Amino acid sequence: MQDQIRDVLATHGRMAVDPHEVDAEADLYDLGLTSHASVDVMLALEDAFDIEFPDEVLKKSTFASVHNIAQVVGSLVKSTV
Amino acid sequence: MITVPGEVGGHRVRVGCDVADIADVQNSLAAFGDRYLRKVFTASEINDCRGLNRVPRLAARFAAKEAVIKVFAEPDMPFPWREIEVTRSGPLPLLRLSGTLAERAQHQGWLSSSLSLSHADCHAMAVVVVVCSAADSGPDAGAGAR
Repeated sequence: MQDQIRDVLATHGRMAVDPHEVDAEADLYDLGLTSHASVDVMLALEDAFDIEFPDEVLKKSTFASVHNIAQVVGSLVKSTV
Repeated sequence: MITVPGEVGGHRVRVGCDVADIADVQNSLAAFGDRYLRKVFTASEINDCRGLNRVPRLAARFAAKEAVIKVFAEPDMPFPWREIEVTRSGPLPLLRLSGTLAERAQHQGWLSSSLSLSHADCHAMAVVVVVCSAADSGPDAGAGAR
């Protein structure tokens, strides 16, 4: 799952570094992820995992690290099975 | 050295600002189309942004939403973008909150707000000023810079 998330970040995150190379706990905002880019990341993750982000997970911390994204995506994938 | 007080006349003033890259909004529209619009903007905002300056207007509204989020200064709180709406009263943009964010604003003691939008060729920006009751329950710190 983390590989797919990193692929989405590479395509839509417009970050200053290669997301495939960053630590899972690294702060993505510090690495150049903007609030607006996080919208694109969210929409692309919805496509990649066939999920929908509900309002309650639309918070800054959701997109703050690969680890955080994986946790949220993982819970949404489970809830749609 | 002094600490400048954060309240005047029994009211606390909070400020939030944000800048949005117009090309980013254009790219999101190209990549995700209506899904992007419906996720971020209300039907009224989409309607208000029709015409020649559609993308800069959308970018300014996105900046307004992010500026409002900074005013709340609660990074772990969910921020459904559509609960923050920019409306218009003649030439003046106005801020309208709904749902959980309206409740949270009430909890923080928001009494009134003022919104200003602008854009140039590349970027759009928004500044939001909110006057709160001094006894608001929000964080003492000012709005974040992220």
